Amino acid sequence: MNVMITGAAGGLGRAFADECGSRGYNLFLTDINDDGLQCIKRGLERQFNITVVTKACDLTNAESVDNMLDFIDRHEIRFDMLLNVAGLDYEGDFIGRERENLVKIVLLNNAATLRITHAVLKRRIPGRNFTIVFVSSLASMFPMPLKATYAASKRFLLDFATSLRQELKDENVNVLTLCPGGMVTTQAAMSGIRAQGFWGNATTSPLETVARNTIDRALAGKSVYVPGKLNQALAFLGKVIPRSWVAAVVYWRWKEVSGRGLIS
Amino acid sequence: MKTVVITGASSGIGLEISRLLARKGFNVLGVGRSEANCRRAEEMILSGNANAKFTCYVADLMQQREVVKVADETLSYLDGNCNGELHALINNAGCVRSWYMTTEEGYEQQFALNHLAGFLLTYKLLPALKKARGRVIMTGSQSHKGIRIHWNDVMLRRRYNPLTAYKQSKLCNILFAKGLNDRYASAGIRAYVVDPGLVNTDIGNKETGALVNFIWSLRKRHGVSPEIPAKTYAFLCEQEPTPEGLYYYLCKEKSYSRQVTAENANRLFGLSERLCGIHYGEVQSL
Repeated sequence: MNVMITGAAGGLGRAFADECGSRGYNLFLTDINDDGLQCIKRGLERQFNITVVTKACDLTNAESVDNMLDFIDRHEIRFDMLLNVAGLDYEGDFIGRERENLVKIVLLNNAATLRITHAVLKRRIPGRNFTIVFVSSLASMFPMPLKATYAASKRFLLDFATSLRQELKDENVNVLTLCPGGMVTTQAAMSGIRAQGFWGNATTSPLETVARNTIDRALAGKSVYVPGKLNQALAFLGKVIPRSWVAAVVYWRWKEVSGRGLIS
Repeated sequence: MKTVVITGASSGIGLEISRLLARKGFNVLGVGRSEANCRRAEEMILSGNANAKFTCYVADLMQQREVVKVADETLSYLDGNCNGELHALINNAGCVRSWYMTTEEGYEQQFALNHLAGFLLTYKLLPALKKARGRVIMTGSQSHKGIRIHWNDVMLRRRYNPLTAYKQSKLCNILFAKGLNDRYASAGIRAYVVDPGLVNTDIGNKETGALVNFIWSLRKRHGVSPEIPAKTYAFLCEQEPTPEGLYYYLCKEKSYSRQVTAENANRLFGLSERLCGIHYGEVQSL
C-alpha cells in the first residue's frame, strides 16, 4: 500500500504517518517544513520496516507542486491512498485579520487540496482500489462567527468530498471526510482546548484513536467520520437548528472564550 | 573541580540538585527547556553563592536533534575546561502528558523525554564519563512498580493512558541503569536510579490537561520540598567508595520491581538504540 500524506510533519499528519507506518504501508510524505519531514522519516524508518519518501513542497505554489509531481513521475511512484491533511487557521474576527492571511486559508485548505487531489487521482495504481481522506472539521457543520473563513473552507471540503465520492463510486475510489472536534496536536492546541474549559475537553478526541479509526473507516468504504459521541450530537444539532441561531450561539461562545484572553 | 551535567535543571528537583552540588563545590552544567527559566536558575544559584559554578544550557531534550546539539556543546566545553572529564550525568528531565502527543520523530513524548533523551545523552557523553570513571543517575519513581513494558506498543499508540505512560517510562529508567551497569561497570561507570518520593514540583501542571493538572495540584501539597531528594543525588555523586546499589531513596538502597531483569534491560537497549540510531557496547561478562 502506497500512501501520500500532506502536512505530514506535524499534528494529525504525523499521527497518520505513524498509524500507516504501524500497518506496514509505504509512505510518501510532504510538508512545507523539510526539517520536520526528515525527522519523521527517521522516526518511522527506525520503528517500522517500511519505505518512506519525503519531498518538501508548498502546496499553495503551483510550481512547487509541479516540481513534486515531476519527482513522483521520475521515480514512477503511484498511490493507493491520499490523506489530505495540510491546512491552516487564523482565528479571530474577520476585519481584524490580515487580508493576505485570510486568503491563505482558502488557498491552502481548498485550492491546494483540489490541486493535489486531482494530481494524485491521476497517479493511482491501475486496477486497484483507491482511498481519499479529506480532513475537514466539526466546524464544517456550523456557520462559525470568529472562525468564519476557516469554517467555510472546511464546509467546502465536506461538500466537495460528498460530491466527488459520488462521481468516483464506479472507479473503485472511496472518499471519506474526517470532521474532528479538538485534538491535542501541538502545545498551542492544548492551551486553546484548556481555554475552552469543559467544552474544550469534552469535544477533544485522542489523536492516535482518530488516526486509527479514520484509516479503518476509509478502507471500509465509509463517507463521513465525526469522532466522539458528543461531537456527533453537535453535528446533528447543526443540521436541525436554523443556521442563524447556530451562528448566534457560536458567536456568543467564542467571544466568551477569547474574552478570557486565552486565545487570540 | 568535578563537573556534573544535570538535565531539567531550571526548576523542581533539578534546580535543587544544581544548587546543592554547586554549594558543595561541583562545576554544574544544567540543561533546561526555557531560556527564561535557565537564566532565572543561574541568577538564583550564583547570587546565593559567589564561588558557585553553574551554567544552564537551553535545549528541548524531547527532540533528538536538541539532545545531540547540547551534547556536542557540553563535550567541547568539557574538552576545553575539564580535561574532557565528566564526573556525573544526572538524567532528571521528565514530563507528564495528558494526551498522546509526539515529538518530531513521531515518538510519544513521555517515552521520548523521560527515557530516550537520557539514553541518547548518556551515549553522547560516554567518552567523558569513561575518562572520569563517572556516574549516571536517573530520576525514577516508586511508580515504576506494578507495570511491565508494553513491548508490542511501547509508545502506547493503541491505548494511551497518562499514568501508564509515566510508570512505564520510569521502569525504563531502571532498566536503562541496569543495562549501563551490565555494560560499563567494568569500565568504572556506575548507574543509579533515585526515587525522589512525592515532591512538591510543577511536573503535573506543565502542559497537561485539566484533570491531571487538578489531581497533581492536590497531590503535590503532600509532597516534600525538592531539597530532600537532592541530598540523595549528592550522596550518589560524592560517596566513596562507589556505591554498589541500583535504586536509592533517602540515601539508602531500596527494593525495585521484579521486571528489572537482564533480559528486559537488553531488550530495552536494543529497542532504544534503534529509536535513537546509535549503538552502545556489548554486555561485559563479569
